[in-house]
Amino acid sequence: MDAAANAEKIAVSGFRHFFDTEDGPVQATGVVDLKIRAGEFVTLVGPSGCGKTTLLKAMAGFIRPTEGTIHCDGKLVTKPGRERGVVFQELAILPWRTVRRNIGHGLEIAGVPKVEREEKVTRLIDLIGLGGFEDRYPHELSGGMRQRVAVARTWAADPDVILMDEPFAAVDAMTRLTLQEELGRLCVATRKTVFFITHSVDEAVFLGDRVLVMTRRPGTIKAEIDIPRRAAGGRDWESFTTDVEMQGIAERVLKLVRAERGLTPAEEARAAAGAGA
Amino acid sequence: MSVQAAPIATTSTARRALGRLAWTLVPAAPFVIVTLIWIMATGILNPSKETLPPVTDVLASIKELALSGQLATNVVASLYRLLLGSILGIVTGLIGGVIVGLNRKLAESLNPVVVFFNAISGIVWLPLMITWLGIGNALAVFLIWNTVFFIVFQNAALGVQLVPEVYEQGVRALGGGRWQTMRSVILPGALPYILTGIRTGLGFGWRALIAAELVGAATGLGTMIFDAAEYHRSDIIVAGCLIIGVIAIVMDRWLLLPIERRTVRRWGLVADTEKE
Amino acid sequence: MSLVSVQHAPAARPIPVPTGWAVAARQLRSVKILFPFIVLVAIWWAIQAAGNFPDRVLVSPQRVFDTMVLLISRGVIAEYVSTSLKIIGIATAISIVVGVPIGFAVGANRYAARSLEGFLRFLQGVSGIAWLPLIIIWFGFTHATTLAVVVYTLIVPIIFNTMIGTRAIPEHYGLALRSLGAARLRLITDVYLPGALPSIVVGLRLGMGYGWRALIAAEMLVRQGGLGDLIFGARTSGQIDRIIGGMIIIGTLYLLIDRMLVQPIENLTIARWGVLRK
Repeated sequence: MDAAANAEKIAVSGFRHFFDTEDGPVQATGVVDLKIRAGEFVTLVGPSGCGKTTLLKAMAGFIRPTEGTIHCDGKLVTKPGRERGVVFQELAILPWRTVRRNIGHGLEIAGVPKVEREEKVTRLIDLIGLGGFEDRYPHELSGGMRQRVAVARTWAADPDVILMDEPFAAVDAMTRLTLQEELGRLCVATRKTVFFITHSVDEAVFLGDRVLVMTRRPGTIKAEIDIPRRAAGGRDWESFTTDVEMQGIAERVLKLVRAERGLTPAEEARAAAGAGA
Repeated sequence: MSVQAAPIATTSTARRALGRLAWTLVPAAPFVIVTLIWIMATGILNPSKETLPPVTDVLASIKELALSGQLATNVVASLYRLLLGSILGIVTGLIGGVIVGLNRKLAESLNPVVVFFNAISGIVWLPLMITWLGIGNALAVFLIWNTVFFIVFQNAALGVQLVPEVYEQGVRALGGGRWQTMRSVILPGALPYILTGIRTGLGFGWRALIAAELVGAATGLGTMIFDAAEYHRSDIIVAGCLIIGVIAIVMDRWLLLPIERRTVRRWGLVADTEKE
Repeated sequence: MSLVSVQHAPAARPIPVPTGWAVAARQLRSVKILFPFIVLVAIWWAIQAAGNFPDRVLVSPQRVFDTMVLLISRGVIAEYVSTSLKIIGIATAISIVVGVPIGFAVGANRYAARSLEGFLRFLQGVSGIAWLPLIIIWFGFTHATTLAVVVYTLIVPIIFNTMIGTRAIPEHYGLALRSLGAARLRLITDVYLPGALPSIVVGLRLGMGYGWRALIAAEMLVRQGGLGDLIFGARTSGQIDRIIGGMIIIGTLYLLIDRMLVQPIENLTIARWGVLRK
């Protein structure tokens, strides 16, 4: 979609963040430097509490980094913006809006006329397979359907960059596989720049063009693995699990992540009590 | 090792201590602000003592009431009525609520009457009851009973109905009889609702009592206020209101809430909404 | 918190479970509901007939019914009822317009929320009726006095529950909307207002329950019309038939307001969004 395919979309430089807590400031992340090219799907894996979510929240503009800067399209990120969509781990669609009105919410905020909005929303609803559920409220849907709505809402607003924070962590294992495949297809179809956080190695390798591995708290990026390009639309679990090369990569990433899991229970608890994710 | 001290440590320690202090003191803020406005209003507008008595007058009249023993007499009279009416209300409400809660048919047929009499519970009975019972303790006790009864009754009935049947079946499977199930399942299971009902009921009862005492008694805090109005003693009215509020808070926070906490919250039966 | 858990026990509360009470509530429309009332009236009649009471103590259901018919047909009831309804209506409007924004403002800040909580509890402990003598000194024996007492009573649960409702909205609802480009006003209309609505309705319902009683009590003492005046005035002249008739009207009216106004709001929005039933 973007002509300058290799253009730098997001640049994180010298990022470091501290949280103010009851017991004094806690370092949430180490120094992070990171560049994401336009149209790239970058996944980030790391142990719980390593600061993944903190980094994503800073990229979204929800928190101001203690140190360092984040640029999007060369502009300094200081607050949330329409060009950077976010899909949350927790269900963030509004219970008082129907599927249709949730998905169209971003467009509504942007002031898109109703007819145009409806058209776009209908197309997305078909794409994510929620036809027939347009006028249902979230509490009437299954967990997987709700997360589809959340993803569709972000996509409908048509941001350049999509930040996803373990969006499938709360759905059941079977549904998760389907959602991951759908997301893969959606990304191939729309060529968005995606930054995706997960603690599942398989998910990271399956979805990413590039996988980043973070150390335990305070997290820094310790490794970067390029995933060989697949044929368009070729992201499905069956071929992934039978692909020897992919499995080799997944194993390598797993080893890197495993090495970070050496926390004592006390450290684990402290990590969990802090920034989360 | 994973948690490191940060360069911003010093400033934030000070800020945190300050934050904690603010957190502790902040509940007093509205009281202080209102008192300041009150002092300023009496100072600047200089209203007549009837319209807005100065803070000092109110404090003086609290002292005077306390020293003359008038305060103690009225507080004791009010609390005595509250105690009597509440005990009656709790006992009858509990018995009725549990019976109705256990018996679905009875619950269904009685519900309309309960809903209707609940709608006129408390103060609405005042005129009729003055005629029947005259002015005095019996009237106030009736109104409190009437107020407390419906709240405890409805909560107890609801609590009993909401006890999961599995618990009951579990005790039955162990060979427990009807009384056994009642004692070890139904009553503890319904306790969160019962306690909420009692706590709420006492709050309502207190308010109903003050209203009843305004016209229907010869002693008590409500009577004290109403009599003061005859002589345009606003200082006594305000003093009385403050005392009424303090008693309500003390009753709820230091008597009923701890009971609720100690029994129910410990079992994890109620979502703890009290945390900050 | 007690002001919220009170929602388990307000006057004529809807019972939020699909068990006995809800079933029973649905039967309200059927003939069955009249049965227990018929039994009650029969007992009343029997007592009255057996006891040979003077009219100043107890009259027959027939007398009460006749009096009510007479008062209604002469328009007397309509006048008293409209006075009461006007005051509760104005009080409710003022309380919503003033209380909800205060609740939002306070709910948005945890220090403000903490500071106001204790104060609101204190205010609730001093019933509005206790301030009545002072308010009478200020405003005299007028409707303004009654209105002040009712607003005082009604607004506290509305502020409190709006505050609680605002604080209970998940943080990421707001974050998600901000990332979609929403400004502050949007957040209020699309997140805070609907998010806090269930709680606001609970507050409104509680407030109306308290407010209605405060209204009746204040009317008894202010004596400027209204249903409280009707029954209290009847006491002075020993008209038991008017007192009982008035009580029946007060109860019926309260149920009508609750069932036809407050409950439908709850059903239309909250139940449909599936957010209230925890």
